[in-house]
Amino acid sequence: MDDIRALSAQLAQDPQSLVFLRLGEALRRKGQLEAALRVAMNGLERHPHLADAHDLYARILTDKHDYERGFDEWDMAVRIAPHHTGALKGLAFLYFKVGDIEQAEAHLAAAKRVEPDDPSIEQAIAMMRKGASPPEPSAAAADSSTAASPTAASSTAQAPQGSGLDEARVFAGLEGANEGLLLIDGAGRVLGGALKDRAGTDVTDTVAAYLAGVSQEAARTAKLLGLGAWTGLSAEGQQGNVHLAHPTSGALLLVVRERGMPLGRLAILAQRATLMARRWLEQQ
Amino acid sequence: MSPQTRAVESWTLQPLTDFVREASARLVLVLTPSGQVLAQSGFSRAVDVMSAAALAAAIVASTSELARQLRQPPFAALSHQGPKTGFFLATFVTERGTLAVLAVYDLDVSSLGLVQLFYEQLAGDLKAASPKGAVPKQVLAADFERELTDSLNTLFGR
Amino acid sequence: MSQALDMITRVRGVRGAMLVSAEDGIVVAEQLMEGIKGPAVAALAASLAGRLRRAMDAAGTGAAAFWHLQAEQGALLVVPGAGILVVAVAEPDVNIGLVRLELLRAVEAGL
Repeated sequence: MDDIRALSAQLAQDPQSLVFLRLGEALRRKGQLEAALRVAMNGLERHPHLADAHDLYARILTDKHDYERGFDEWDMAVRIAPHHTGALKGLAFLYFKVGDIEQAEAHLAAAKRVEPDDPSIEQAIAMMRKGASPPEPSAAAADSSTAASPTAASSTAQAPQGSGLDEARVFAGLEGANEGLLLIDGAGRVLGGALKDRAGTDVTDTVAAYLAGVSQEAARTAKLLGLGAWTGLSAEGQQGNVHLAHPTSGALLLVVRERGMPLGRLAILAQRATLMARRWLEQQ
Repeated sequence: MSPQTRAVESWTLQPLTDFVREASARLVLVLTPSGQVLAQSGFSRAVDVMSAAALAAAIVASTSELARQLRQPPFAALSHQGPKTGFFLATFVTERGTLAVLAVYDLDVSSLGLVQLFYEQLAGDLKAASPKGAVPKQVLAADFERELTDSLNTLFGR
Repeated sequence: MSQALDMITRVRGVRGAMLVSAEDGIVVAEQLMEGIKGPAVAALAASLAGRLRRAMDAAGTGAAAFWHLQAEQGALLVVPGAGILVVAVAEPDVNIGLVRLELLRAVEAGL
């Protein structure tokens, strides 16, 4: 309960933050579904394009046995972030519940392609093939090893994966290595670096989530317009300039600098950071 | 729960699946001007499919009649947009007969431009995939209810 | 409007210039070389602009005043205005600074 109080206080202080994801999940786990629903809906209003927010909302709806809307929310999460394993597992769970084993397995297989080392997915597939009934989502909340449950699915989506990595290790020696550099994977998860907005608020996870969509759209635009593969995206903002590149086919690098840095210089800096990120990724 | 994309006539499935993915459409129906549904995506309830198909068929009929009275060829497409959602309705001719596509999209993930762009692709793919030399099947009144039930069962994977 | 587009397409390496409705992603006006699909450029540029805007808002850099997608065989350069996008499709080795200037001029002139 202390957790919930602390998270509520954090959210009250900064309503734009992503704390609502943790608060909503904590309330859901405590069985306070109406409160969890309100938190999730408020969060969704502020972050309508955040796949994790739709994932949270779907888990709460599933706990309330509102499977149709739960399905729609997970479906939306996958449309925003096609590699969102939480949503893929959630959809698999709901397909299983209505007896569509083929679709359930297809979604679990898709989740496995994103996270091949997640043993819980294999367990879930085996369980489904045996015809065992997956636990109710609310009961499954207590046992996050049950891959067929959306609760287990969410844990990967919400983990602040970048926090365990030292950005200086990736970009050591680069100008401004400790700020405004963000390395993410194709599913929008942070691999290294961090971003703060002008007010000093950590916006790493939110930006990472949006960047996956930008990259997909950049790739599609270049392909359909016959421009070949995209190599970079530069933008001048009112308060800062950004450059997006992909060091490897599965990774994205964002460099953010003050508006004063010209785009040409930013592109050179991004090129250096791209090389460093590529080397670092190859070593992993 | 919504089966994502289902088809009564299997040749419509791949073009429709591609369209839904590329245009980020929330709901799509492929139907005949008489309201017979060939494929659907995103609908969670049979009753919604039935009413959307009936309304779409009525719009196609009324705009075709308007065009006829104005001595114009039938209108190619119709679009309406609200603050958050838009819908797009268009008809095209295939070997299977005239078909209509109804697409509903959310403005935060798609746009009229994207829907129009990938609709051109959908219409082209459906024209290419439609069974050659097929005569549109006439549904007799006696068979209507069974045909409808069968179609809905297929569209919802039952 | 056509004069503004004309100025953009005069830059060497520019293959087309367009005015696009930012919300709908449909063409308002265009001057394109043969082979460039106007509706596709409009729809995709508007969609990418929308996604980029959300990411930049989240990053706290504010709305984009100019953006540039570089690709192996070409580039897309965009300046957003009030409800519109001024878009140029160009060769990969185009003078980006010059195109940017003409796009900004087009927006400032209110087309």
